[in-house]
Amino acid sequence: MTSMDFMRATSLADAVTLLNASGLRCCPIAGGTDLVVAMRQRGPWFDRLVDITAVPELLEITETADQLRIGAAVTFARAAAHPRLRAAAPMLVEACLTVGSPQIRNTGTLGGNVINAAACADSLPPLVALDAQAHIVGEDGERIVSITDLVTGPHQTTMRAGELLTYFTFPKLPAGARSTFIKVGRRNAQAISRLSVAAVGWIDSAGVIDDVHLTLGAAQPHTERLTQVEAMLQGQRPSPNLFAAAGKMASNVVVESTGRRWSTEYKEIVIQGLVEQALTCMLGASIQA
Amino acid sequence: MLIQFTLNGAPVAIDAPPHISLLALLRDYLGLTGTKEGCEIGECGACSVMVDGEIVNSCLLLAPKAAGHTILTIEGVTGADGSLNDLQQNFIDYGAVQCGFCTPGMVLAGEALLAHSPNPSRDEIRTALSGNLCRCTGYQQIVDAIEVTAHARRSIAAQPVVSGG
Repeated sequence: MTSMDFMRATSLADAVTLLNASGLRCCPIAGGTDLVVAMRQRGPWFDRLVDITAVPELLEITETADQLRIGAAVTFARAAAHPRLRAAAPMLVEACLTVGSPQIRNTGTLGGNVINAAACADSLPPLVALDAQAHIVGEDGERIVSITDLVTGPHQTTMRAGELLTYFTFPKLPAGARSTFIKVGRRNAQAISRLSVAAVGWIDSAGVIDDVHLTLGAAQPHTERLTQVEAMLQGQRPSPNLFAAAGKMASNVVVESTGRRWSTEYKEIVIQGLVEQALTCMLGASIQA
Repeated sequence: MLIQFTLNGAPVAIDAPPHISLLALLRDYLGLTGTKEGCEIGECGACSVMVDGEIVNSCLLLAPKAAGHTILTIEGVTGADGSLNDLQQNFIDYGAVQCGFCTPGMVLAGEALLAHSPNPSRDEIRTALSGNLCRCTGYQQIVDAIEVTAHARRSIAAQPVVSGG
């Protein structure tokens, strides 16, 4: 018989206290869509679950002059329906809308998606492309870490016992920035990402690419920006040839980092196409004849 | 642990272990077997219920998470006289029920959509049903039943209120 206790935190301080009870292995639960399946498969790896979905701060989406802040327990559906987020980070909203089904999007949370850290987690590429930071509280106070440094590999994070992810922040994009998210799955609904790409970019007044942030999903063990490809694109005039070259380069970067394996033949073609398509979607309108 | 919530309009207090799902709580502890157990990993939608008006998979929701919330199951979806409501009747009339296993979840997905979107397109209906699998009907009849219900409900809502005189 499974033995565990279940507590509902009503404030951030309450959550940290409940997660740090001495002698108990404690685990936060938000939506539970990943946790409940894992718990059923391998039995609980904790003595106590702390429900964090009644902590008001974790459910908020707010903005300051220069950044947006998303509570870790915001569901995919709430994030996707939020007017400020739809305007400020459309590709994050697009990614949220490709997660699971309406049922999953009403339950699963952005914080849970990141902390569960599945290789196919759909919110990871957009958050990394947006240079999002994770705010984490523990008994010793708050620490801030970039998503790239928080999620180190499939199902691997630098979270410590007793810590809680509270919210994400990311800088607002410059006016005129465009973004895109493209996902390859086996079907439209309920699809697990085979590969995905998240990108943001903007053109300067001279018509050349000022900056691009590119991140692939489910392609590499570690989700990170493709800085080599970004550097190659900066300062260039958008063109179909440039986008094709960027696709080719992205594919080479991934193959270099993962080595050639059984799926490489498929992945290198799809990554090349995905990156080319993402750049065309995002900056194609700025191509000058 | 004692779990208290509102179920189909009435308060419920039930003692159950904390590790079970809301689905198990409904079926095994409360005897409400209209909610079906299909895949148990959140892919088939047979276990769909509404929590505070939003459709969720009850197989993925831990029972204690229901505490303090308002849950609607298929047993709570009825017409004014306790018989089938218009959407349920249209499921029958339009051939949207064959084996029936997916039907409770499909009806709830349909109601969840109509509550938020009284005039859905067929694409919006398909998106709303994308978390519910049916292996019999081919979906067309289910989309038809929801579309017809939406149309009829809008017609009723649009009728002028006639006061006595």
